[in-house]
Amino acid sequence: MNAQGSGQEAFLPVLRLEEISRSFGGIQALNDVSFEVAPGAIHALIGPNGAGKTTLLNVITGSCPPDTGAAFLGDCRLNGRKPHERVSLGIARTFQNIELFGSMTVLENVLVGRHVKTRCGFFGAMAGLPGCSLEERKARQRAHELLDFVGLSEAADWRSTDLPFGWQRFLEIARALATGPKVLLLDEPASGLNPVETSTLCDLLRKIRENGVTLLLVEHDMNLVMEISDRVFVLNHGMKLADGTPCEIQANEAVISAYLGRERMGGKCSACAI
Amino acid sequence: MRYLILMAGVLAAGFGLSSPYQIQLLTFIGINSLLALGLNMLMGYAGQISLGHAAFFGLGAYVTGVLTAHFHWSPWLALPVAILLTAAAAFLIALPLLELSGFYLGMGTLGFGMIGYVVFRQWSSLTGGDSGLVGIPSLELGPLSFADAKNYLFLVWAVALLCIFLCDRLIHSRIGRALRAIHDSERAASSMGIDTGRLKVHIFVLSAVMAAIAGFLYAHLVSFISPGSFDFLVSIRIVTMVVIGGMASVWGALLGASVMTILPETLTVFTEYEMIVYGLIMITIMIVIPQGLFRGILDIYERARFRTGSIPAGPQA
Repeated sequence: MNAQGSGQEAFLPVLRLEEISRSFGGIQALNDVSFEVAPGAIHALIGPNGAGKTTLLNVITGSCPPDTGAAFLGDCRLNGRKPHERVSLGIARTFQNIELFGSMTVLENVLVGRHVKTRCGFFGAMAGLPGCSLEERKARQRAHELLDFVGLSEAADWRSTDLPFGWQRFLEIARALATGPKVLLLDEPASGLNPVETSTLCDLLRKIRENGVTLLLVEHDMNLVMEISDRVFVLNHGMKLADGTPCEIQANEAVISAYLGRERMGGKCSACAI
Repeated sequence: MRYLILMAGVLAAGFGLSSPYQIQLLTFIGINSLLALGLNMLMGYAGQISLGHAAFFGLGAYVTGVLTAHFHWSPWLALPVAILLTAAAAFLIALPLLELSGFYLGMGTLGFGMIGYVVFRQWSSLTGGDSGLVGIPSLELGPLSFADAKNYLFLVWAVALLCIFLCDRLIHSRIGRALRAIHDSERAASSMGIDTGRLKVHIFVLSAVMAAIAGFLYAHLVSFISPGSFDFLVSIRIVTMVVIGGMASVWGALLGASVMTILPETLTVFTEYEMIVYGLIMITIMIVIPQGLFRGILDIYERARFRTGSIPAGPQA
């Protein structure tokens, strides 16, 4: 978790997408989508299935290059940069279907996340250079701190796939945080979690924001989205349908008819009142 | 600690053994360990299969063989040339091949192995073709002559132990974790900022270089090499050593190489049925302990320890 920049930067978007389009064969997955992500806030990306949410995440992480349009992290143009380069620039992600390193322990998973923050190469490791062992000690210390942060420190030596499903989600978040991101992309972080775990997740996401990391989550759990988001983007058929605060989104007629549905309106007002 | 035990073991065996046959067998185990260790770094850790490793083994052997037998170079000058040439070949092969994965990578490397074999056979002006390359000198270092079987045994094992030591260090480093991450999930590895393509090429080259060193040691041990020692079956045998000993374990490579070197020798009592018994043992290992002998034994120990451990509380943010 990097400390976010000084006050004057606060108004610059940390992540900016300009007129992104992407089609797969005849299907227009994204059509001229532009939006800006303000630093230090929690953003949610919602929309019906097939609206292009995951494609948009993949455009940001670089695993799916856009046909047209540009993406920026701060002032840095992302187009043409490979996924691993974007991680060192400060974009981290978690996966919808958890992708942990199954042969490794919980701690080692987080240590892999420190890859971009460490330098030791083939020869350094083989020669056992003092710089490498110092770096390794620091990485371990940081990994323990992060496990502590997500509440998994006691399971550090477990094999990662032995963790219960919900904990694996938290581990994935710790691992992503280990890369020291400016922006953390979460692909459906609450799916498969029970209500208790979801509320723990909610608290965790707020704590991450307090540490200066900007969050962008794709999520279907509307209670979670409306409760924690500072701003919500709605995608439909690959196009931006709306962009606003949770209250504005819940009052938006177009969003209600396309996605939220009329019957959900009643229950949502309480979240809005907070 | 483990290195001391192993070193003591090799020394004891070297001075204790008197039969030339046993000494040679132990020397071959050392050479095979190098091959298995190199392939294990690629296959066991990075999860990239190579069915053409015999070509790198052969390249190391032929480069030093040709340079010393035809051009009368010193073997110690031929060694760096063999290493560099093999590394360059591996690098060029790896660039296109490692774009592939799974069966396709297997087929691609298999094709490379075949090409290597054909080149060793057909480039007869240099390699001697099917009749082989003779007159490779034995190694000498000052007053120390490695023509003596025991000295050669110590040399091979010193190299093997050094390589095990270096690989062990590599595995327990940032690079080693990145390699295992590629094995587990390439997508997740690249989302952690690991340059998967580059790292795969690097480990392929390292693996090939270790095979070339094994080839160098082999050529100067037997002083005669022919294409048959580097054919497709040899590649398969190296893969089998890795699989039997256990993937992702340096000590497993040692164990696999020992088993695969000793087994065919001891099975000669079965004469005609040798291959059948040999095959059955492999099938049994694959079914009962697919993670390999070394890992299998270790897992049983770990599971016993895990059961007695306490269960921590869940995440609390």
